[in-house]
Amino acid sequence: MTGDQPATPTAEAAPKALPATPLWSLRIRERIPPWLVWLLGAVPVAVLLGLWFAVTAGPEAEKRVISPTILPSPTEVVRSFPQLWFDRALMRNLFVSFGRVVEGFAVAVALVFPLGLFMGSFTKIRAMFTPLSVFGAYLPIPTLVPLTLSLFGTGEVQKVVFLALAFGIYLLPLIVAAVDGVDDIYLKTAYTLGATRAQAVRKVLLPVAWPQIYEALRLGFGVGWSYILLAEMVDIGRGLGGIIIISQRRGPREHIYLVLVVIVALAFLTDKAWQLAGRRVFRWREKRR
Amino acid sequence: MSTATPKAAAALPPVVEFRGVTKTFNPGTAHAFTALRDTTFKVEDKPGYGEFVAIVGPSGCGKSTILNLIHGFDDVYPPTTGEVRVRGEIVCGPGRDRGMIFQKYSSFPHRTVLENVLFGLELDSRSFGLSRSGMHDLAHDWLRKVGLQDHVRKYPHQLSGGQQQRVAIARTLALKPGIILMDEPFSALDEPTRYEMQRLIMELWHTVETTVFIVTHSIAEAVFLGDRVWIITPAPGRIGREFIDIIPATRDRDPLRAQEDAEFKNAVTEVARAFREMETAKPGAAKA
Repeated sequence: MTGDQPATPTAEAAPKALPATPLWSLRIRERIPPWLVWLLGAVPVAVLLGLWFAVTAGPEAEKRVISPTILPSPTEVVRSFPQLWFDRALMRNLFVSFGRVVEGFAVAVALVFPLGLFMGSFTKIRAMFTPLSVFGAYLPIPTLVPLTLSLFGTGEVQKVVFLALAFGIYLLPLIVAAVDGVDDIYLKTAYTLGATRAQAVRKVLLPVAWPQIYEALRLGFGVGWSYILLAEMVDIGRGLGGIIIISQRRGPREHIYLVLVVIVALAFLTDKAWQLAGRRVFRWREKRR
Repeated sequence: MSTATPKAAAALPPVVEFRGVTKTFNPGTAHAFTALRDTTFKVEDKPGYGEFVAIVGPSGCGKSTILNLIHGFDDVYPPTTGEVRVRGEIVCGPGRDRGMIFQKYSSFPHRTVLENVLFGLELDSRSFGLSRSGMHDLAHDWLRKVGLQDHVRKYPHQLSGGQQQRVAIARTLALKPGIILMDEPFSALDEPTRYEMQRLIMELWHTVETTVFIVTHSIAEAVFLGDRVWIITPAPGRIGREFIDIIPATRDRDPLRAQEDAEFKNAVTEVARAFREMETAKPGAAKA
């Protein structure tokens, strides 16, 4: 094994690193280091921001590619934040919106959770409500806005009812599927151990389906953020949707972009909270992967 | 086929009795399939002993159907014709008097090993007359007997296949069922674990004295475990052949050692031959 070339013994000793793949090669299900994940994710964001800066550069409105009345520059957006915070009472409106989401969600879950559990457990109940559920699934949710408006006016009730409907329509099939997905073997086992029908539902179907149900609730809650804007953008009122409408009609435009970022951040954070809580509650499930 | 049978005058009715049982799935459709045809048998109660019935047969014959009928799971029960009786009574659905161990791991994923064994006890603690601590003691006791005393707090996903089946055995035996049905319980396990489990079953069964039905695809396992070995014919299934006490009682013997004996091997060969005859005789027999 004495090659002509002076072998590098250090390379032999160290565990052989995989041949570095060039950055531009795409391999299916490739394992990449975390820093690369961050880097790759940052690129499109940077490009987008760069574009934004580019098309809104220049102090004079006339010289910009896009007029500031349509698209303000990033610095202008950031600078308008204090005004949004103080004059437009960002936090108070944010809590109003959040509160509505929570209320609508709570109402929906209170109705749809038992219904979904029963539909997932009992074939006859499922047969009874599936047509309605299917109708809801194909119903364009925005059409519920005028409907609830004519029924409940523009008050708080309308917003909560609308959100509850939207949440309920979204959650019901997911909860049914979660309960339905519980493996028969657990039911059979429970019966051989003497479980009654009620015990089979309470001690087997529900707890085994819980992680999936929880997942559905989490996803549903996230979807709620788009519904809340639908509900709030029908009139100038309180809530983040109200701020957007005001900003659109009276300016400043900057606030629209700021509110969007705030909503995304808030939705992201609440979703993380759901995930964290879920991981604590369903410790027994740890393993997937 | 009168349903109103007079309470058996005899001391003890058979533990399990099939009277002319036929089971056809999807009758009247293109997918109609007769898994079991006109099957009649009795397994008597042997007080203080119980009996071990091992059922073998080609895949797709009615082996599992027999167990499911005894248990009364509603995806199989009731039979198309005939009667299934347990202790003289017509079966009317599953119950804890008939324990079942499945091939598929069936421990409740949200419960620890201990909680899995407690499950059946907690469902009806009053009828067992056990306090909370009494139930815990009993569960711990059974976990010790199946060798899981060091794993009581683990969740099922943290267990190996063999350990999962030990949990199933412990939770079943803790309820003291009169009949235990096992549907290929060890098929998914590797060879050494199988022997381990066979030994465990032999040991424990000794102490609980129940009638056991085990469906297996291993002839050696059937010969080793069974007091009776039934060979089921290809579908539509019937009990094609029965061997009783084909080898001397193997209790207390190491499965690996016992299965090395010439006598044991001869018995396996004999059953295997009968099995094969049954399979090749299929065309004629099936027409019957």
